[in-house]
Amino acid sequence: MRRLVVLALLFGAMQLVLPLGAGAHGSQWLLTFGFLILAAYSVGELAVLVRLPKITGYLAAGVLFGPSVFNTVTTDAIGELRPVSSLAIALIAYLAGAELRWNEVRQRGATIAKILTAELTLGFIALSAVLVALGDRLPFLQDTSGASRLAFAVLFGAIAVVHSPAVVMALLSETRAGGPVARTTLGVVLVSDVVVVVLFSTVLAVARAVVPPTGANVAGLSLGVIVWELAGAVLVGALLGAAVAVYLRFVKHELVLFAIVVAFFGMVIAQLAHVETLLALLTAGFVTENVSRHEDGEAIRHAMERSAAPVFVVFFALAGAEMGLAQVAAVWPFLVPIILVRTGALWMGTRVGVRWAGAPRDTRRVWMGLVPQAGVAIGLAAAISQAYPVRGGQMRTLFLAVVAINQLIGPILFRFALNRSGEIAGGAGEATPVQPRPAIR
Amino acid sequence: MPDALILVLVVAASYLAARVAFEWLARRFVIVSGAEYLLLGILLGPQLSGILSRDTVESFAPIATLSLGWIGALIGARLVLPRLVRTPAVLYRVALVESLLTVAFVGALLAAALWLGFEVTRGEAIIAATALGAVAVASATAGVAVVARQLGRRSPVVRQLEVSTAANAVVAVVTSGILLTIVHRPPPMAVRPLTPTEWAVITIAIGVVGGALFHLFLGEEHKVDRLFVSLGGAIILVSGAATYLRLSPLLAAVCFGAVLVNTTRNRAEIVAALERVERPLYFALLVLAGAAWRPSVRDWSLVLLLFLLTRVAAKIGAARLAARWNGMLPTLGSDWGRGLLGQGGLALAVALTYLYQENVPLPNLVFTAAVASVLLTDVMSARLVRSLLHVDFVTPARDAEG
Repeated sequence: MRRLVVLALLFGAMQLVLPLGAGAHGSQWLLTFGFLILAAYSVGELAVLVRLPKITGYLAAGVLFGPSVFNTVTTDAIGELRPVSSLAIALIAYLAGAELRWNEVRQRGATIAKILTAELTLGFIALSAVLVALGDRLPFLQDTSGASRLAFAVLFGAIAVVHSPAVVMALLSETRAGGPVARTTLGVVLVSDVVVVVLFSTVLAVARAVVPPTGANVAGLSLGVIVWELAGAVLVGALLGAAVAVYLRFVKHELVLFAIVVAFFGMVIAQLAHVETLLALLTAGFVTENVSRHEDGEAIRHAMERSAAPVFVVFFALAGAEMGLAQVAAVWPFLVPIILVRTGALWMGTRVGVRWAGAPRDTRRVWMGLVPQAGVAIGLAAAISQAYPVRGGQMRTLFLAVVAINQLIGPILFRFALNRSGEIAGGAGEATPVQPRPAIR
Repeated sequence: MPDALILVLVVAASYLAARVAFEWLARRFVIVSGAEYLLLGILLGPQLSGILSRDTVESFAPIATLSLGWIGALIGARLVLPRLVRTPAVLYRVALVESLLTVAFVGALLAAALWLGFEVTRGEAIIAATALGAVAVASATAGVAVVARQLGRRSPVVRQLEVSTAANAVVAVVTSGILLTIVHRPPPMAVRPLTPTEWAVITIAIGVVGGALFHLFLGEEHKVDRLFVSLGGAIILVSGAATYLRLSPLLAAVCFGAVLVNTTRNRAEIVAALERVERPLYFALLVLAGAAWRPSVRDWSLVLLLFLLTRVAAKIGAARLAARWNGMLPTLGSDWGRGLLGQGGLALAVALTYLYQENVPLPNLVFTAAVASVLLTDVMSARLVRSLLHVDFVTPARDAEG
């Protein structure tokens, strides 16, 4: 009840303030940021009461107060807050990398590789096939035939297989779960981001050869560029991680501030060097964690978790606000088969991968953690619409609707999986770790 | 983006360097760290090196606004009623008389000078001079804190300086906050123009409602991490709302902080959460303030000189008068006002709030006056306080030598 009163007061206050002012000196940015932190946090707490993940609450707050419903957070404000999302992605990537220990990679690497191979291959083929099957009914496949239809279908398949490390990380952070399902899911989503970027770049290059874009941004992605994006990211990340380790060894002051600076610095350097941001920060986190003394790695990870908390709340709320309900409504007849096929492919692919790797039976539930989509997925869709403004734009609309649905149901499914696997001891909201994180390393 | 990167790196590196050196400098040489960041901002800003473009500085305005809000919330958080009522009334009388006399003296003299000598309309002269008065009254707390820490015991002068710097802060924030409600331009969507009283009520209401909302929001939460997230959200909301309405984020945040600490049971945790990022934000504010500085189109050096001299005279004279009127001269000494000469972040915060308004007269002059005063007095603020006490401090090095 108290949370509802807070929400009503917040909403009422915003309705009073917004017509009276003028957004000078980024004040609307601040106002929206503050409102989103408090409103999304409140809805997150409400979500816990009904045994849903907090992230679902944050997303719901974004949908509720975003342009689709109340429009308290306007499209302009979302645009102004985009740097917060970039920072959140950098923090998530660093934290994800810091979760991985070399021992664990060696121990669990084969299982992760086999599950990933199975679910990505199956998902890619199944999703491309369903697009071909839907054919003329889809706006962006009308008036296409043969190779061009296949090219667009394959492009869609290449982005639709992507997962969301952000959601997985946030849920693991919220629940403190650390069993085999949690760790395997984390490994799969982290590696899959790299694989999907490579897959997408290759498919886009092929698509461009088959259906040359006209009048659009036609800058090609050569093999050299792709190699640099990935190898350069590892190099940049390794250097950054080593620098962080040196700082922790000799200075180790003001870690909360330092954590934010590291994420921001890594993000900007990656952009300047034209390397994959996510992979660079992931590598930085991994190197820091594995090179530093145990207590140093622990200290920077805690500092980053603390400084990331408000950023994450706003990140997910913004993701919710960006979900266009009108877009979802417009393409809903196509959503059902696509989401069903993707979910089925994840389920089947994970089962095949688990059996192939001889992994414990419980890890079959990993598929539920692979359902959510965000971040990279949206970026890849934007790349397609840049290359093919008309058809790519239509494809982006459909894909964003798919992402919206997966983003809403994904966290619930993953939390269910963790719960069923006994990796969350305390139930909704009061989760306690089955085993402390260091034990998984 | 590279501009932003440079700014972040410079702030972070200098902050961390100062963090390492700060305690040692304060202990060994009784020097307060702060003005160097302001200087750094000026050097990096568009007026000198141009490393930070005007657009970059503008894009960081929300961080500066957040810093203003945070500073305001910390000032408000010091207004704990049970603690305030334990302080002898005479200390408040001295502090308030000194504060009000300083504002009045500096304001009146500069209004006259601007109006008579610099071809400024009477209204513009009064507004700019009041803003200068608000800047002038603010005193640095860091110097007093350093000396109090070194002294290790309570001295009547230090106690008075602590009360006076707090009163100075409140008077500076309230004066500048009310000034902004008077010069407020009516919003385009309003049915009728709101009166200054209504704007003043709105400013205070933003803080009070923010404080009340925060309570409702958190209940009796004691975990510092959760407090930090929601406190950050609340301060961002309060300072963002005030700035969005072209009001004073400082005043709104002072009300927010005061409501918060006086209605909660977990005061210590709230103050701890507030203090967690106080210094990074403070240094960011100094660098951004330095980068935001731009000289006036006219030569105002005489006015600046007049401001600096008037302020020194007003602080020492008003302090002496206030002590005499309250029978405290024998205890405090005739020159105790010297301890209030140091200026730091608050003076800049008041001036920056004024600078961010669109329809105020002579914003660059007011801001330049604050910058000049801080550059001249901040580093020496602790030494000025110490010089009043006639105490030979024992430095750790000498202590170790026995």
